[in-house]
Amino acid sequence: MITDNLGLAHQLARRFLHRGEPLEDLVQVASVALVKSVDRFDESRGVDFAAFATRTIIGELKRHFRDKGWAVRASRRVQELYLELGHATSTLVQELGRSPTVAELARVTGSTEEAVLEAIEAGQGYRATSIDASENEDDPLSARMGERDERFDSVEDRALLAPALAKLPLRERSILRMRFIQGLTQSEIAVSIGVSQMHVSRLLAASLEELRQNIGHETPE
Amino acid sequence: MIGEPEVVASETLVEGDRVSLTFPARGDLVVLARLVSSAIAARVGFDIEELEDLRLAVGELCLLALQGSDARHGDLQLEFTISEDSLDISCTHGGAAPPRGSGNEEGAEADELSEQILSALVDEHGREQEDGSVRAWLRKRRKGPLA
Repeated sequence: MITDNLGLAHQLARRFLHRGEPLEDLVQVASVALVKSVDRFDESRGVDFAAFATRTIIGELKRHFRDKGWAVRASRRVQELYLELGHATSTLVQELGRSPTVAELARVTGSTEEAVLEAIEAGQGYRATSIDASENEDDPLSARMGERDERFDSVEDRALLAPALAKLPLRERSILRMRFIQGLTQSEIAVSIGVSQMHVSRLLAASLEELRQNIGHETPE
Repeated sequence: MIGEPEVVASETLVEGDRVSLTFPARGDLVVLARLVSSAIAARVGFDIEELEDLRLAVGELCLLALQGSDARHGDLQLEFTISEDSLDISCTHGGAAPPRGSGNEEGAEADELSEQILSALVDEHGREQEDGSVRAWLRKRRKGPLA
């Protein structure tokens, strides 16, 4: 019964492969679970063994991840990848002279395109949450963000800003992107577009003012 | 005494909201279904483990809808419906799917595995065939109701 179903254990282990554990570990967990399910299987209940074993093996695979503190590690990994993407993007912009594609970012960071997209999405999510959570209190979270007092971080802000941004000239748009999405300092932007830091500062201030007027001082709920 | 830690979740989709996603019925695009599913799951307050269950489950759902049909034709249509205590996802393959049973044995085995995986990951699931299209669906309940 065990040898007949080793293939099943393998296939199920593979389904959990994208979570950062080596395949052999997962196969090991799944195989042990298969043995357990043989021990526990009660034919008189009229349940199909494969269905019973699948349930047991998936249960054990999930427990394996839970026991290893996977949720915490996974969210940390996503956050790390998100930060890594920021650096990788700046480097690739310099190297390629254009914005990198998701495939290029995946190659440079050694992850999959899906992971890159997840990290981008989740990274924005974390920021939105941290800002929301600090809304009405004297919260160290908001203090930590003190440096970036212009609030363009959340998805909601950006959704509101998108049409207003589209009205800005290309150069101003790229400066805003470098500053608020890639997180470059004014000096770094100055170097990359070949003007003085003071000039970047003025352009930023003017662009921000224009944005404020374009969106009519609205703030998202 | 330490109370229950406060749950911080970005619940921006609420009961009655629906999201649709349609894409060409190809295996390499199932990533779209997974990405959208996890984004939605996060917005209805699923925790990260439930979210991973859903990602895995929605992949199987797409497989079920794709299996046994000419996977290079037609579209996969995903419908996400948010209700008070659960998320429903249905996946319809509008392509010309041959009737069940006409496929090979391997396909039937793969279908069975997908269904068994779904049984282990979600609360309810099923598959129907009507007018030449295949519709697979699942329901995943949340541990707690909408805030």
